[in-house]
Amino acid sequence: MRNFDDDPALAELLAPERQQDLLRLLQGVTGHRFALSDQPQADAETVEFNLDGVAWLSCAADPQLQAPTARLIEFILTYVGKYRLAANLHHDIAEASFAELQRQHAALQDSEARYRQLSEQLQAQVAAQVKVIEQTQQELYESARLRAIGQLAAGVAHEINNPIGFISSNLRVAEDYVKEIKQGIAGDSAFNALIEDFQALLKESASGTQRIASIVSDLKTFSNIDQADFISCDLNDLLHTSCHLLQAEFSHMLDIELQLGNIGSISGYPAKLSQVFFNVLDNAAKAVEGKGRIRVISRQGAAGHPEVVIEDNGCGISTASLERIFDPFFTTRPVGSGTGLGLTVARETMMAHQGEISIRSREGIGTRVTLKFG
Amino acid sequence: MIKKAFANMSEYIPHERKLTIKVVYYGPALSGKTTNLMQLHTLLQPQRKGELMVLETRDDRTLFFDMLPIGLRSESGLELRLKLYTVPGQVQHDSTRKAVLARVDGVIFVADSQPAQQDNNANAFDNLADNLQKVGIDIENLPLVVQFNKRDAPGAVGEGELQSRWSDTPWSPLCMAAAINGEGVVESYRVLLERLYPVLDREFQLAEVEHISADAFVRQLSRVG
Repeated sequence: MRNFDDDPALAELLAPERQQDLLRLLQGVTGHRFALSDQPQADAETVEFNLDGVAWLSCAADPQLQAPTARLIEFILTYVGKYRLAANLHHDIAEASFAELQRQHAALQDSEARYRQLSEQLQAQVAAQVKVIEQTQQELYESARLRAIGQLAAGVAHEINNPIGFISSNLRVAEDYVKEIKQGIAGDSAFNALIEDFQALLKESASGTQRIASIVSDLKTFSNIDQADFISCDLNDLLHTSCHLLQAEFSHMLDIELQLGNIGSISGYPAKLSQVFFNVLDNAAKAVEGKGRIRVISRQGAAGHPEVVIEDNGCGISTASLERIFDPFFTTRPVGSGTGLGLTVARETMMAHQGEISIRSREGIGTRVTLKFG
Repeated sequence: MIKKAFANMSEYIPHERKLTIKVVYYGPALSGKTTNLMQLHTLLQPQRKGELMVLETRDDRTLFFDMLPIGLRSESGLELRLKLYTVPGQVQHDSTRKAVLARVDGVIFVADSQPAQQDNNANAFDNLADNLQKVGIDIENLPLVVQFNKRDAPGAVGEGELQSRWSDTPWSPLCMAAAINGEGVVESYRVLLERLYPVLDREFQLAEVEHISADAFVRQLSRVG
């Protein structure tokens, strides 16, 4: 690339046509023909531009004219050259400015892209934070709801306990009375059948009352939510209670096999542990859909720590679902029938007891949930 | 024509035996760069001296540049061309300054001695350093002379103060000038030639091949009257 300050050649100062114009004008003034060359010629007069010879002028007819005419051309070239230099410099500057503008434009676009990326990252972070807040709110709501249910259950249990107490004691007394009446009217066959039927009715009522009392007792254990400190819990007892509650929920249609070993007791929150067992058992019950079998095992695991295994041969869990099984609000059940919190709560409760929960499952084969206590 | 791949201009064209050297007068607006060049044009009587080319001006201010060509033909037949340029000092003409500064071999920085102009001097010097860097020249290795002009102005900052302020820089000692009266102009120019010679000698073996000594180089290019 040529620079504005490179020494110009003759053609750059005066185009060939302009040179011809100039020679014609000189001929008009002097009456002689001149010749102009950009290469050194013998007997020609050098025409200089900024100390450099740029042209060689000759006039064969009158060589005397060569020197003054060369000075005249130099005078003209000075002004042509000034314009040339200024124009070249201006061109150089315009090009450099344009290149600089393009560079700045590219830099601007770069920075714009960077800021867009940054804003996207920020947006993602905000979205993630919002999600965390929503989750925490849901969990809070859920735990408040559970506590309310627990309190309600505890109240109901307490209120039912009293009437159940005197109903069952009255029923016992009534049975004794009936026995005496039966003896008093001995032989009267007309009343005999009635009395026997009456005795059967009372027996059935007493057994019903027993069942109510047992449900109330389970409810009390389950709702024991506000226990602030760890207390000694018998895991087998809690498992029994949870199974009873589950059976009550599923109309005593479940096939549950209990293999409870001698695992002693651990210290913890009984209500929360019951909830863990209930949640896992509830999942198993829904998986078997009344057709399969649930097995509950408690035993001394590795290093003498107790562990509870709850397994079923129900529908199983798909690999994709298994990956998200502990995610809050992840549920495969229809909207409204599951909160998606059951196993989340279970895992958190296990962590609070220095324990862990693990799940293995194959679709169509069944599921095994292992709860290890630390 | 063989072009060198260096950022500096000094250009040797072997078949013409021609070496062109570019010197730029740089500095803040109205510090007297053009005056320096006009005085050199008047005072110098070198072997060959071209016309002072003053390009477009507006209100007597330089718009593009001024240029004074000086020529010397050594006994060995080397054509030496020294092209002295000025740049426009006004802030808005920065692209012009950068374009003129491209491939420069030596700079004479013309500063203004008036106390009110000291900030402008500093800004212009920073601008020189910036632009040199942009055109790929290292200011530390460039032959550079700092001239404090307008010594004749009333209230000019004292020479002692200026000299001590610049004493830690590679450009000390400073040259003092009153260009309007022709004082210090040729002297500053000579100091630059002295600093220019070793650089050119390293590259073109001026002493060894062309038999041009430092003394002859300075003397012949700055001959007066």
